Amino acid sequence: MNMQQILVDISNALQAGRAKIVKELIGQALEEGVSVELILNAMLDGMSIIGAKFKADEIFVPEVLISARALNQGLEIIKPILTETGVKPLGNAVIGTIKGDLHDIGKNLVKMMLVGVGIEVIDLGVDVSAQDFIKAAQDNQAKVICISALLTTTMTNMKEVIDELVARGIRDQYVVMVGGAPITSSFAKEIGADHYAPDAASAAEVAKSLF
Amino acid sequence: MYKWLDDIVKMPRKAMPILSFPAVQLMGISVKDLISSAEYQAQAMKIVADRTPSVASVSLMDLSVEAECFGSNVVVYEDEVPAVVDTIVSSEDDAKMLVVPPANSKRAGICIDAISLATQLITDRPIFAGVIGSFSLAGRLVGVTDAMVYCYDEPDMMKIVLEKSTQFIIDYCNQFKRAGANGVVIAEPLAGLLSPAFAEEFSTPYIKAIVDAVQDENFIVVYHNCGNTALRIIDTILQVGAKVYHFGNAVDMEEVMKSMPKDIVTMGNIDPAGQIRNGTVESVTKVTNELLDKCSKYQNFVISSGCDIPPLAKWENIDAFFRAVENY
Repeated sequence: MNMQQILVDISNALQAGRAKIVKELIGQALEEGVSVELILNAMLDGMSIIGAKFKADEIFVPEVLISARALNQGLEIIKPILTETGVKPLGNAVIGTIKGDLHDIGKNLVKMMLVGVGIEVIDLGVDVSAQDFIKAAQDNQAKVICISALLTTTMTNMKEVIDELVARGIRDQYVVMVGGAPITSSFAKEIGADHYAPDAASAAEVAKSLF
Repeated sequence: MYKWLDDIVKMPRKAMPILSFPAVQLMGISVKDLISSAEYQAQAMKIVADRTPSVASVSLMDLSVEAECFGSNVVVYEDEVPAVVDTIVSSEDDAKMLVVPPANSKRAGICIDAISLATQLITDRPIFAGVIGSFSLAGRLVGVTDAMVYCYDEPDMMKIVLEKSTQFIIDYCNQFKRAGANGVVIAEPLAGLLSPAFAEEFSTPYIKAIVDAVQDENFIVVYHNCGNTALRIIDTILQVGAKVYHFGNAVDMEEVMKSMPKDIVTMGNIDPAGQIRNGTVESVTKVTNELLDKCSKYQNFVISSGCDIPPLAKWENIDAFFRAVENY
């Protein structure tokens, strides 16, 4: 199959959420000698289109999730080869829902969109303390700390992450991005966060611009 | 209640925020105390009714009650609404084996008793109980993120769970009806994340089934959808046949009012967290006036909060909201 066509097919299959087909096409592409970078870019291009459509309300959460699943399953195949060939992600980010909060759908969406722009994401899950955010960021050389909250009572805990960074004298080593239903840009400013993301697609755009 | 709706439309100034949890501050109790006691819940509704000119009394919007009845584990916070923390259905076999619990089991029984008590305390306005919608309940049983993917991968499984969720909600609503409630607010926030096509397949027919089963001239349904796609799916959600529709602050309320039939009472959408919880008297007054500027020309518009007002929202802000409506 024509190399260009196979890359287009990978992107289209990813956009359609056809994980099995994405994996088959990647296998085919690798057999035909297509470079992993091109395969990666095809998938990221597909995810970028998904992100833009999601932001424009042309597609919705389920469509993003199945595309992200196709991306993740495709990445599982090519990641070992990327590592071998020295191709690195754009950068690393840690993400989690703040301490006291167990909601995760927003956090999951942001994670998928960050992966979709080529960022390696370390997902800390829910109910994450300030100390755990910072430790994970340090252990993984993450530049960006993404914090999610859905509850008005837990959103105030986000400030602890920033205060802890300041207390340790390492505030300027990390970019802190916050988001979630009760979060506003004025709240983000008030607690000293660097960025507020009103939605997952915006979070990915901002994160990408930081690397 | 149909007459009440006619009266509402004729009123010059009308507000009905989803306001119940903040009563804990006035009662000196925690949210944990409130959700565990029918007496406290009834008293909370009475306190809110005595303090505010809301056109109806609304009970708790606690979207963990129904899932807990099915067997989900729930984390109870001291001062926040409880959260469902695990999934109990992850296969079609699980879905088939899922038993529909009695509608008065666990905390559902407390909520039903609370309504019964509230009807004795509050006699100057209708009382609405709060229930979860079918897709939102199904989502809690299978996992909220997974539910989105199951719509694609396991639609048959989702539909089994949706049917059982709907059966439970119908029974629950009927229990509220017998307890004396004048209606229910059905909260279907998770459907707000779906495409119009998926909402039509996985939410609308199930909510319609609830409405068809329980709504009558003495008991009306308020359909609540606070998702950002609600405006896109107005035609779909109107199919459920509720008498009142309630929208969240993710949508432009003026655009909603343009799209809604003029004879259907439509409510929304002051930001409960960003404004009423975290705003100031000045900011709440400002946004309330702005919303009234845009929407009060629609006689069927009733100003409300976009979703339930958080437990620790400042009462000075809540008072400011009502004052702004009164003075508009």
